[in-house]
Amino acid sequence: MHASVEQPHGNQDVQPLLVVRDLQAYYRTSHAGVRRSIRAVDGVSFTVRRGEIYGLAGESSSGKTTLIKSIAGAIKPPLEIVGGSMEFAFLPGYGGLHRVPQAELERIRWRYLSYIMQGSMNVLNPVRRIGSSFVDFAYPHIGGSREQFEQQVVAHLARVKLDPSVLAAFPHELSGGMRQRAALALATICRPGFIIADEPTTALDVVVQKEVLGMIRGIQRETGSSVLFVTHDMGVHAHITDRLAIMYAGRLVEEAATAEIFRNPLHPYTRNLISSLPRIGEDAPRAGLGGAPPNLADPPSGCRFHPRCPLASEICSREVPVMREARSEHRVACFAVNGDDSA
Amino acid sequence: MNDLLLDVMEVSKTFARGRLLSREKIVAVNKVSLQLAARRPEILAIIGESGSGKTTLARMILNMETPTSGRLLLEGTDLAAISGSAGRLAFMHKVQPIFQNPFESFNPLKRVERYLLMTRRRFAGTAGEGAAAAAVDAALHKVGLSLREVSGRHPHELSGGQLQRVAIARALLAEPKLIVADEPVSMIDASLRMSIVNLFRTLRDELGISIIYVTHDLATAYYISDRIMIMQKGSVVESGDARTVLRAPRHPYTHQLREAVLLPEVTNAIANVTPSLNGLSPGAPERRA
Repeated sequence: MHASVEQPHGNQDVQPLLVVRDLQAYYRTSHAGVRRSIRAVDGVSFTVRRGEIYGLAGESSSGKTTLIKSIAGAIKPPLEIVGGSMEFAFLPGYGGLHRVPQAELERIRWRYLSYIMQGSMNVLNPVRRIGSSFVDFAYPHIGGSREQFEQQVVAHLARVKLDPSVLAAFPHELSGGMRQRAALALATICRPGFIIADEPTTALDVVVQKEVLGMIRGIQRETGSSVLFVTHDMGVHAHITDRLAIMYAGRLVEEAATAEIFRNPLHPYTRNLISSLPRIGEDAPRAGLGGAPPNLADPPSGCRFHPRCPLASEICSREVPVMREARSEHRVACFAVNGDDSA
Repeated sequence: MNDLLLDVMEVSKTFARGRLLSREKIVAVNKVSLQLAARRPEILAIIGESGSGKTTLARMILNMETPTSGRLLLEGTDLAAISGSAGRLAFMHKVQPIFQNPFESFNPLKRVERYLLMTRRRFAGTAGEGAAAAAVDAALHKVGLSLREVSGRHPHELSGGQLQRVAIARALLAEPKLIVADEPVSMIDASLRMSIVNLFRTLRDELGISIIYVTHDLATAYYISDRIMIMQKGSVVESGDARTVLRAPRHPYTHQLREAVLLPEVTNAIANVTPSLNGLSPGAPERRA
């Protein structure tokens, strides 16, 4: 049915699609000789497997935006990659998109790697019709005759329940939900191996949000793309992601299958994050955490969560806990968590 | 004689859009009434999606928008009759807004503590610098910040969540009777959100402040509100006790909203089902305008 599109990497290699190793991305500024560095991403390692939706949860100043920028290769001063690497399976040897030459980037963008952002206006050119954006971004990769291409676009729009007439519309003529679905269609038409989804449904109304999430999931399952799905909304993570990493103050603190995180959160931060969510029909008081996320220009020593942590002991302010496998496929960075008795 | 804090009587707001010949009227708010009692502070949630008119209604309550028809009384005073800077200041003493995007509420060129001290002086007169600073610090502590933390910083140097807490602290400086908060926690960090939501409860219980909480988030509305009002396309479709309405919605629209809430637990609603995309038929686009 949709086999007309050649699938670039539909095989199920064991090799992960993205391997991030000990990434350090700092904002470095220098004012009147005073150097400051904000360690927004400080030693983050994870892998995104083929065909999975990998969730990344974190609040503001957790470094998740910086992490996404780094992975997307959008490194501009004062942001610097200080250490570590980000290796895509389809671009081996570079260690990060920021090291890839421009011509090579143009070859892979949209074809191997695409984006769905919160404001789809960032992707859809406001002064060009939706159809022109498809021609601009996708046609060079798909090729063939214009008629064939158009047919393919129309068929793909049907997957996100959009009528072909949207191709003649300008982005501002569409509702937020339609725009986001158009952006989703654009991001997936070339069947890229990797999609970065940064808060893609945050600006949408709840009813539309649920529908768009279902479409993202449906298309992802069909194309077998890997998705790095970033949102602060735990409800969205519960709904769509396969595995989930929790980020706090520039580091990952926990990672496991999404169902496992919700059923059995181990890190004290994750536990609070999940237990504090209000649910309709439950009247028990919910408590937020005391304190505030730390200033990354001067982060706490040791575990960066220790000043707010109810389980903190002396070691937590001295040493940095490493991510270790506390249970099978469940990594956590916390001295207070033992692997076995923590059910 | 009047024991209502706020009496909204059949207010409507119509906007005109388009050009001279293709002018069309959009009814943003359609004959909405609501009352808040003076002696019984409560949290009233106004729930709706974008385009429901909830923000327009909130702006009318804040006297930032004039109703096309209907009247609003605050402690018996018609909002339409408020004029002059003294009248507006007296109004702002009683009703304080909190908006969704704190970056739009603050002057980007001004350090935030200047802004807070100025607000304090405006509402509390010319107390000494030290007293004003103490009041600002106390207000900031109520929202989980301190004067020391925000001193010398411009709005862009704070996160959205931090700045929103500053905005709530700023509203508290006026010692208002009513706070109208439009999506106040949608930009607040998850670990702090419940502290802020709980803070609204404290404001109600300890300071006797009534709160109109405008939101699309049914879960937090359920958690903190005494009463809720569901709006759709400018009209109230269902209202009443928050627990009753959200546990057993009567109106189909309330039901639809309730069903769309993503539960913070893995239901595998999507996870286990691979929807077949082959049978999808293109829907008619919901073109705007």
